[in-house]
Amino acid sequence: MITGTGIVKTFKQRGNVLDKREVRALRGVDFSIPKGGAASFIGESGCGKTTLGRIIAGLETHDEGEIVIDDVAMSSLKPKARQPYFRRIQMIHQDPYSALNPTRTIFQTLQAPLRLRARQTGRDGKWIDERASEVLSLVGLDPGSVLGRYPHQLSGGMRQRVVIARALTVDPEMLVADEAVSMIDVSLRLGILALLKDLRERLGVAVLFITHDVATARYIGDDGDLYVIYRGQVIEHGKVDTVISDPVHPYTQSLLSAIPVLHGLEQPGTQPVVPLSGLDESLSDGGCLFARRCPFHTERCTSELPALGRSEGVPQEHACFYPERRDVVARPMSGV
Amino acid sequence: MSKQAPGVRIDGLTVTYNNLPAVRNVSLELPPGTITGIVGESGSGKSTLALSLLNAVQPPGRIAAGSVEIDEIGNVVEFAAEQIRRVRGSQIGYVFQAAQNSLNPLKTVGKQLLDLGRSHGVEDLRGLVRDAKDLLGRMGLDGARVLDSHQHELSGGMRQRVGIMLALVLNAHLVVLDEPTTALDMITQSTILKIIREVHEERGLTTLVITHDIGVVAEVADRLAVMYGGRLVEQGPTREVLASPQHPYTRGLIRAIPRLTGDIDEAQALPGRPPTLATVPAEGCVFRERCPLRMDVCDTVDPAAEAYGTRIVACHAVKVKEHA
Ligand SMILES: Nc1ncnc2c1ncn2[C@@H]1O[C@H](COP(=O)(O)OP(=O)(O)OP(=O)(O)O)[C@@H](O)[C@H]1O
Ligand SMILES: Nc1ncnc2c1ncn2[C@@H]1O[C@H](COP(=O)(O)OP(=O)(O)OP(=O)(O)O)[C@@H](O)[C@H]1O
Ligand code: SF4
Ligand SMILES: [Mg+2]
Ligand SMILES: [Mg+2]
Repeated sequence: MITGTGIVKTFKQRGNVLDKREVRALRGVDFSIPKGGAASFIGESGCGKTTLGRIIAGLETHDEGEIVIDDVAMSSLKPKARQPYFRRIQMIHQDPYSALNPTRTIFQTLQAPLRLRARQTGRDGKWIDERASEVLSLVGLDPGSVLGRYPHQLSGGMRQRVVIARALTVDPEMLVADEAVSMIDVSLRLGILALLKDLRERLGVAVLFITHDVATARYIGDDGDLYVIYRGQVIEHGKVDTVISDPVHPYTQSLLSAIPVLHGLEQPGTQPVVPLSGLDESLSDGGCLFARRCPFHTERCTSELPALGRSEGVPQEHACFYPERRDVVARPMSGV
Repeated sequence: MSKQAPGVRIDGLTVTYNNLPAVRNVSLELPPGTITGIVGESGSGKSTLALSLLNAVQPPGRIAAGSVEIDEIGNVVEFAAEQIRRVRGSQIGYVFQAAQNSLNPLKTVGKQLLDLGRSHGVEDLRGLVRDAKDLLGRMGLDGARVLDSHQHELSGGMRQRVGIMLALVLNAHLVVLDEPTTALDMITQSTILKIIREVHEERGLTTLVITHDIGVVAEVADRLAVMYGGRLVEQGPTREVLASPQHPYTRGLIRAIPRLTGDIDEAQALPGRPPTLATVPAEGCVFRERCPLRMDVCDTVDPAAEAYGTRIVACHAVKVKEHA
C-alpha cells in the first residue's frame, strides 16, 4: 500500500534571477494505491502528472507532505534507508526506444539488474538465466527468440514489453507507467494495457498509470481509481468508470468533451463543455484554479477555493462548488 | 493564378528507399473542397505519400512510378526543384511532421514570416502580418507576442500552431497537414481540429490530414484512407468506413481503439506486428501475416484496389464476398 498526503512541489525556474518565477507543480495532492491496485493520473500537459509519478518512485524530492510505503513514513528514514522501498517502485517511461541501451542484447539488459538481485539474495548464474527467461515469458515474449536480439530488431510494442520485463526483475511492488503506451502503435496498444492488468492479477503488482489518453485508463482494470489533476491539484477522484461516465467537475467534463468522437460508431454527448479560454497559468486570487476558464463560474468561484470533498448524491470526490452531471461523453451507437 | 480548391489525383504511385517500396502502387483522389484523412501505424508510409505531393521525398527515397496530378499545377512528379519551390507555400501549404522542431532557432517567428512573404513576392507585408496575427489569434494565441518570439520561447503546442499558421498564411488552396496535433493535449487538439475545419470551409480548400490517430480523422475528415505496409488498403467516406469497415486490417484497427464507454472486452489488440520496409512481403497481400481471413491466393497475389460502391478495398476475401 502506498499513500501520499498533502504532496507539494514547487520548481524554481532557472535563469533570470531578478524575475524568479516559481512553478507550483503540485499543490497538496493526496492519493492512495492499495497493494496490487491501480490508479490513473490524467490531466492536461504540465498539470504535474509526471512530477507526481517521479516523487512516488523516489526520483524527485517534494517540499511538503508525506509518502507512506507499507506503513513506513519515508520522512522518518534517512535517504539511504529509503532506497529499498523506492527500488520496488519501478518507472516505465514513455519512449521504449530510448529506454533500452542499443548496444546491449536483451539478455545483457536483463542481466545487469538480475546480477545485483542474485548477489543480494545469494543466488547463482543459473538463476539469472532462468529468471531472465521467466520475466520475458511474463510479459508475453518468447525468450528463445528475444534474448539474443538487440533493441532495434524488435517492434515498439516488443521493446516496451522488454522495458516492463526489466522492471519485473526486481520484484516490484508497483509499476509507474508514464504515458507507457502513447508511442506504441494503436494495433498493439491494448496488448500492453492487457499485460499491465494481467501483471496486477497474477503477481499482485500495483500499477500507477499516467496518461493524457483517458480511455486507456479503463483498460488496466475497472477497479482502479482515477485522479483528474488540474494545475497541480486533484479536482476529481473516484472509481475510473464512475468518473469517466458521470463526471461532475467542469474541468473533467472539458477534458472528456475534447476526446475525438468516432462519428459513425459513436454518438457525441449532448452537453459538451468547452473551456472559455486556453490554459491560463496566472494565479487566481485564492479562487478555484479553473474559474477563469470555467463556463459555469460564479463570483464565489473567483474568491473562494473549493476543496476536494464529497457532496450529496455524488459517489466521487470533487473540488467544485456546483457539481452537476452533464452528458459529455460519446456513447457507442446502438446497432453497431 | 486561380484561387479555387484544386482536385488531386494520385495514380499508381510507388516510392522507394534504397529500392525498398515504402509506398506501393497507391491511387487516391482528393476531390476539390474535401478533407481527406490518411491513417496508418508508424512506418506505414503516410509521410512518404504526403511528401510526394510536393515531390519532396528525400534521398535515398525516390518516386519510382506513378503520377500526382494537381489541378492548375500539373503533375508534380515531373517538376524540377525550382518549380516546386514556387508552388510550395503559395499554392500548396504544408505542415511537416514534427513541425514543432522545424522553425529557425535564430530568427523570431515574425522574421521568418516576412522571409516567407518576400520569397513568394508578397507585396503587402503588413497585410501578411495582419493575417498571421489573425490566424494565431483564432488558435488561441497572442499573435503579437508569438511573432516576437524565438522558437525556444514557445511550447511544443504553440510551435505546432505556428507551423499551421505558416502553411495557411499565403492563402494556398491545397493544404497538407502531417500529424498536426501529435504534441498537443486533448483540449488544445480539439480547438485546433475545429479551426482546421473552419478555415477549410471559409477558404474553400482541399485538405489532406495525415495521422496515426483515427480519432483525429474521425473528427475532421470527410473521407478516410487507411494505409498498411505502404499500401492503401481501404478508402471511403469517413463515417461509412468507421461504421462498417471492410478490410480486415481496418476492422482490426478500429476494434483495437481503447474506448471511453461500452464493453471493455469488445476492444482487442490486433495479433502480430506491423511490417517494416525490410519485412514487407515482396508478393501477395501485405497484411496476410496478421489476417484472420487469409486464403491461398493471399500468399502469392497482391490484391488490387477495387471499388464497391463508395468504398475502395484491396482484399481478396472482400472481393470473394462481394461477388458471391
Ligand atoms: N525540473 C523542472 N524544473 C522546472 N520546472 C519543472 C521541472 N519539471 C517540471 N516542471 C514544471 O512543473 C509543471 C508540471 O510538469 P510535469 O512534467 O509534471 O507535467 P505533466 O503533467 O507530466 O505534463 P505532460 O503531459 O506534458 O507530460 C510544468 O509546469 C513543468 O514545466
Ligand atoms: N530517409 C529514409 N531512409 C530510409 N528509409 C526511410 C526513410 N524515410 C522513411 N523510411 C522508411 O519508409 C517507411 C515509411 O516511412 P514514413 O515516414 O512514410 O512512415 P509514416 O507512416 O509517416 O510513419 P510515422 O507514423 O512514424 O510518421 C518506414 O519503414 C521508414 O522506416
Ligand atoms: S487479401 Fe487476404 S490476407 Fe490480405 S487482407 Fe484480404 S483476406 Fe487478408
Ligand atoms: Mg509528463
Ligand atoms: Mg510520418
